[in-house]
Amino acid sequence: MESFANLIYGFGLALSPYNLFIAGMGVFLGTVIGVLPGLGGTSGVAILLPLTFVMPPSSAIVFLSCIYWGALFGGAITSILFNIPGEPWSVATMFDGYPMAKAGNAGLALASAFVPGFFAALIAVLLFTFFAPPLAEFALRFGPPENFAVLFVAFSTLTGLGGGSAAKSLAATAIGFMLATVGMDIVTGRPRLNFDSITLLSGFSFITVSIGLFGIGEILQSAEESLEIKGIQGKVGLKDLVVVLRTMAKNGASVVTGTLLGFWIGIMPGTGATPASFLSYGLAKKFSRNPQRFGQGAPEGVMAAQTAAQAAGIGSLLPMITLGIPGSPTAAVILGGLYIWGLLPGPALFTEQKDFVWALIASMYVGNVMGVVLCLCLVPLFASIMRVPASILTPIIVLLSMIGAYAVNNNSFDIFLVLVFGVIGYIFKKLEYPLAPLVVALVLGDITEEALRQSLILSDGSIMIFFTRPIAAFFMVIAIILFLLPVLGPAARRLRIGI
Amino acid sequence: MQRAETTCAIVLLILAAVVAREAIRLDIGWGDIGPKGGFFPFWLSVLLGLSSLTILIKSILRREQHEPKPFLPRRRLGQLLTVLVPIALVVPFIAAIGFYLTTFLYLSLYIWWTGKKHWALTGSISILFPAAIYLIFEKWFLIPLPKGMLEPYLPF
Repeated sequence: MESFANLIYGFGLALSPYNLFIAGMGVFLGTVIGVLPGLGGTSGVAILLPLTFVMPPSSAIVFLSCIYWGALFGGAITSILFNIPGEPWSVATMFDGYPMAKAGNAGLALASAFVPGFFAALIAVLLFTFFAPPLAEFALRFGPPENFAVLFVAFSTLTGLGGGSAAKSLAATAIGFMLATVGMDIVTGRPRLNFDSITLLSGFSFITVSIGLFGIGEILQSAEESLEIKGIQGKVGLKDLVVVLRTMAKNGASVVTGTLLGFWIGIMPGTGATPASFLSYGLAKKFSRNPQRFGQGAPEGVMAAQTAAQAAGIGSLLPMITLGIPGSPTAAVILGGLYIWGLLPGPALFTEQKDFVWALIASMYVGNVMGVVLCLCLVPLFASIMRVPASILTPIIVLLSMIGAYAVNNNSFDIFLVLVFGVIGYIFKKLEYPLAPLVVALVLGDITEEALRQSLILSDGSIMIFFTRPIAAFFMVIAIILFLLPVLGPAARRLRIGI
Repeated sequence: MQRAETTCAIVLLILAAVVAREAIRLDIGWGDIGPKGGFFPFWLSVLLGLSSLTILIKSILRREQHEPKPFLPRRRLGQLLTVLVPIALVVPFIAAIGFYLTTFLYLSLYIWWTGKKHWALTGSISILFPAAIYLIFEKWFLIPLPKGMLEPYLPF
C-alpha cells in the first residue's frame, strides 16, 4: 500500500527534532488560544501565520495545523471549568461539561472531552490518510469548469446550510469576493477597484482581514460584557481516565457516530468544527435512551460534542489539501498560507511536494498525541490563564493582532485595516451576517475568478460548459439545490401545512 | 436593531453601486482573451445589490412586535468605547512614535486606568511585554516593527 509507505516517510519528517519542537509549540500555543475566550482558533492561526515565513513549508503547515488541534482540545477547558466557551466549537461541550464540573466531577468532564476527542481525532486521521491520495487523484480529471463547479458547491454549502439568512450569506460572500478582486488584475494587468490608491494596489491580505474580523471583532464583542471570571478547580485523575474508558466502551457506537458525523461535516466546505459539535450533540440527545440527562451533566453529551468537533477539524483539511476547498474557516486561513508559500493544493501537491503532504498527515497523529497528553496533565496550568484579568489580556491580544497584521507585508496600513475590519466584524456579528463565507470568498476569490474566466474562454462565453461536462454538471446541480434550500425549505413546509 | 439592519443594508447597496460603476468603467464585456476585467466585479455587485435589497425589504417589512432589541444599549456603549477608543488611538500612534513606545503607553495607561492595577505591576508588564516582543520579532524572526518618527534617534 503506497499510502502506508508514504506515511512512514512522513513520520520520518514529522519526528525530526525541529518538527517535533514546532509541533509542540503549535499544540501548546493552540491550547492557550483555545483556552482564551477573546482569541479564537481562526484568528489565532491568522496571527501566527506570519511566523511561518521563517520556516520551510512542511514545518509551517505542521505548526499551523497543530495550533488547530491544540485549540480543539483547549476550548473544552474553559467550557468545562468556567462555563465560558474558549472557542465557538466548545459551546456544545459546555452544555454538559460545566454541570458535571459544578457537581464535583470536573476531572471526569475534562477526561470525557479529551480522551474520546483524541480517539475521534485518531480515527479521523486514519480516514484522512487513506482518502486523501485517491481524492487527489480524482481531482486530476478536473479542468477549469470542474474546478469552478466544485468551488461553486463550496459557496452553495455556506449559503444553503449555513443557517440564518441566506441573503446575508450571499451578501457576505459577494463582499469577500469583491475584497479579493481589489488590486492588480492578473489577466489584463490593470489595477481594479483600488480607487486610484497605490496602497490598495496590492489588494487585501486575507490574514489582515481575518485578524480584524475574527480577532478584533471578537474583542469588541466581549468588551460589551464585563466578565466576572470565577472558575472551578479541576484536574484529571487516573480514576477519571478509567471511568471514561469504560463509558467509551459502553457507548462505542455513539463515539464512532460522533466521529464519522464530525468528519463528514468537516469535509463539507465552510462548515467546520462548530456546526459539527452542535449537530452531533443534538443527534446524540435525540437518540439517547435518557435524553433528559443531556444538559444536566451527561458525559455522553460532552463526548458527542467533542468527538465531532475534533473529527471535523481534521476533516476540514482534507478537501483543502486535495481540492483546494477549505472545509472550515480555519482551514481557509491555512489554505491562504499554502498560497503564500507558493503551493497549489491538488494532485500536484501529492506528487511534487510529498514532504509537505505526508509531514502534515504524520503530524496530525503526532500533534493529537501531544495535545491529549498536554491537556490531561496540565489542565491547572492552562486554566490559570483565565485568571489573568481582562484589562491585561485585552490589550495584549490587540497588540499581538497588530503585530501579526504588520508582519504580513511590513506595511503600517495593515494595522489600520485590522482596526477597520475589527469594527466591520463587530457590526456584522451583531447584525448576524456570517463571516465564514466572507473569509472563504476572500481566500478563494482569485482562483474562482480564474476558473470562471478560463471556462468561459473554453466555451466561447457560454455558461452551458458547466452543464455539458459530466463531473462539472454533477457539482453544479448539487450546488443549485443547496442554494435553493433556504427557499425550498419554508416553501415545502407551507405546502404541507396547506394540504 | 431594525434601524441598524436597514442602515447596513443601505450601505451595502451603495457599495454595490460603487463597485458596479467601477466595474463598468473597466469594461464588463468580452475582450480578445475572454471576459474583461470588470466582468467578475460587475456580477458580484449585482449579487450584493440583490441580496442587500432583499435584506432591506425584509427589515422594513418586519416589525418588531415584542420589545425592540436595541443594537447597542447605552451602558454597553460605554464599555465598548473603553476598549475601542484606545485601539483606534494606537494605530496613528504606532505610525507616529513607533510600536514599542506606543505599546508601553497603551499597556500602562489601559491597565492602570481600566484594571486599576498597582503601578508596579502595570509598569513591569508595560516594559516586559515590548521587551519580549523586541527579542522575539526583531532579533529572532528578523521582522522589524515600525519605529515611527523616532527611528533615527533609537539605539536599535
